[in-house]
Amino acid sequence: MDSKRTHTLIVVAALAAVVSGAAAQEAPKAPVSRAEYEKLRREVDDLKAQLATRPTIQPDQGVQPTRDALEETRMRLDALESLTADFKTSDSGFLMAGFASAGYTDSEDENSTFSAGFSPVFLWQFNDRLLFEAELEFGLESVDGEGETEVELEYANGSYLLNDYITVGAGKFLTPFGMFGERLHPTWINKLPNMPFPYMHHGGIAPMTSLGAFVRGGIPLGEAKGNYSLYISNGPSLETEGHHPGTLSFENFDDANDNKALGGRIGFLPISSLELGYSFQFADVDASTFDQDVDSFIQGFDVSYVREYDAIRGVIDVRFEWVFSDVDDAVFFDEDHGEFFTFDNTRHGGYAQLAYRPTQVDIDFVKNLEVVGRYDWLDVGSGVPDDDKERWAIGLNYWLTNSSVIKLSYQQTDVDNQDETGAFLAQFAIGF
Amino acid sequence: MRRRTIIRRASVGLFATALALGIIVGCGMNETSAALGPEPASLGVLSARESNEAVTGGAQLWAQNCNRCHNYRAPASLSDQQWKIVLHHMRVRANLTAKEHREILRFLQAAN
Ligand code: HEC
Repeated sequence: MDSKRTHTLIVVAALAAVVSGAAAQEAPKAPVSRAEYEKLRREVDDLKAQLATRPTIQPDQGVQPTRDALEETRMRLDALESLTADFKTSDSGFLMAGFASAGYTDSEDENSTFSAGFSPVFLWQFNDRLLFEAELEFGLESVDGEGETEVELEYANGSYLLNDYITVGAGKFLTPFGMFGERLHPTWINKLPNMPFPYMHHGGIAPMTSLGAFVRGGIPLGEAKGNYSLYISNGPSLETEGHHPGTLSFENFDDANDNKALGGRIGFLPISSLELGYSFQFADVDASTFDQDVDSFIQGFDVSYVREYDAIRGVIDVRFEWVFSDVDDAVFFDEDHGEFFTFDNTRHGGYAQLAYRPTQVDIDFVKNLEVVGRYDWLDVGSGVPDDDKERWAIGLNYWLTNSSVIKLSYQQTDVDNQDETGAFLAQFAIGF
Repeated sequence: MRRRTIIRRASVGLFATALALGIIVGCGMNETSAALGPEPASLGVLSARESNEAVTGGAQLWAQNCNRCHNYRAPASLSDQQWKIVLHHMRVRANLTAKEHREILRFLQAAN
């Protein structure tokens, strides 16, 4: 029924009620006079006229304009919001994170010593896409018997989330090569107090930080997942003197010979607890002393598996990494003997680590304990003036919180042509 | 031309080509244009059921991803704003997918 008819009916019914009511009341008196009748008729006509001038409203007609108006308001709001999104102060934020550690080493062949480190991390998120991260590394070093505080700019880079699959960035960054350098080196993450051989600052073979630009991202592949990192950076230089001739130094801040390194890593996670990675870095090496053409090619393979098993009431953490470095033969100068020499400069090293933490045991003290075992090695080609080494380490950790831990470990190191040495290490590490 | 220069140009060229290709392909198959998935405005109109599902999905993604490199960090240890920064950091560091980033963040902001 349309509303006009409804209104008319209501009015007529109301009038009828009034009239009949009046009639009922006045029934005992005289019937309606002519004047009264005329007055009532006029009133009815007036009411009819008033009704006729009212706009007729269709049921849907009333809602549609409101919907349109709402939609328009919403669109305007969206537009306004996206306009102001980049300027909202609440979107940008600053966070200080990082880690600190205190350690103690007692080795058979060296003096026992304490050590300490502090690595604040600064994070600025300018908006949903732009992030700047920087880490300073404060360390203590003894140089010729003089105690010195070493400060390094471990990383400082800006990155931008270009779209769902691509993030670009530039600056100094932890090299996305392998697993240890980028993901495990912070002391609150590393399960042992020291680093495995391939990643050692001196004599190591894998890049830890790079100065350049990167592209990276994660890609869903159905149930599985993939990820990639690609970077270009100042190329490494070749150590021609010192204890480790032939090793690459990746700290090439002004790129002395204009060489560049191109590297990256591809990761594949068939299931969420397992990741397989392949890394490479190809670089022309700065062998500045003799102006030689030397290329280097480093490859890495890494596996990580972290899973909680009810059967053993805890978490198993398995890590394996292997790095292979091939540097073109170069000519070196032996100052002691005053002669030139060369050698086949290939090296490989890696580590295998297994850790177990009984997270499902009800006793708090036991739940926080973790046992770790690691084997790491570094082999050099025949003729390389460096020695093969291998090491076994076992450790017992106590987690005070999720990111603070006390680590105790014992290690046995075997360097070719030298006696085996044992060492006891302790470390307290905290991530904040 | 020296071999070194050729190699340098080749690496720069390769890097640039890969980047360009990535951008073209990546933008083409983008699920959503925003870094965090749906436009922020549309987050507001998620129904209660939808946002509950996202939080549940986020809890699962959190459980699957956030102990791969280090121990889980307690959701209650950081504020909404701090989680936003950390998740951005982890998205880059761990090459998380956009969906993981979005849903884990929503879960942590609901669970802290
Ligand atoms: C690929 C390895 C990896 C994964 C996966 C990972 N993290 Fe991290 N996370 C790190 C590393 C490495 C650091 C230390 C960063 C540094 O000090 O440079 C870190 C640091 C942190 C910190 C300290 C604050 C900061 O931003 O440095 C928090 C909190 C954190 N991660 C939470 C998470 C959460 C939540 C997830 C799950 C989305 C996650 N992490 C997944 C590697 C990872």
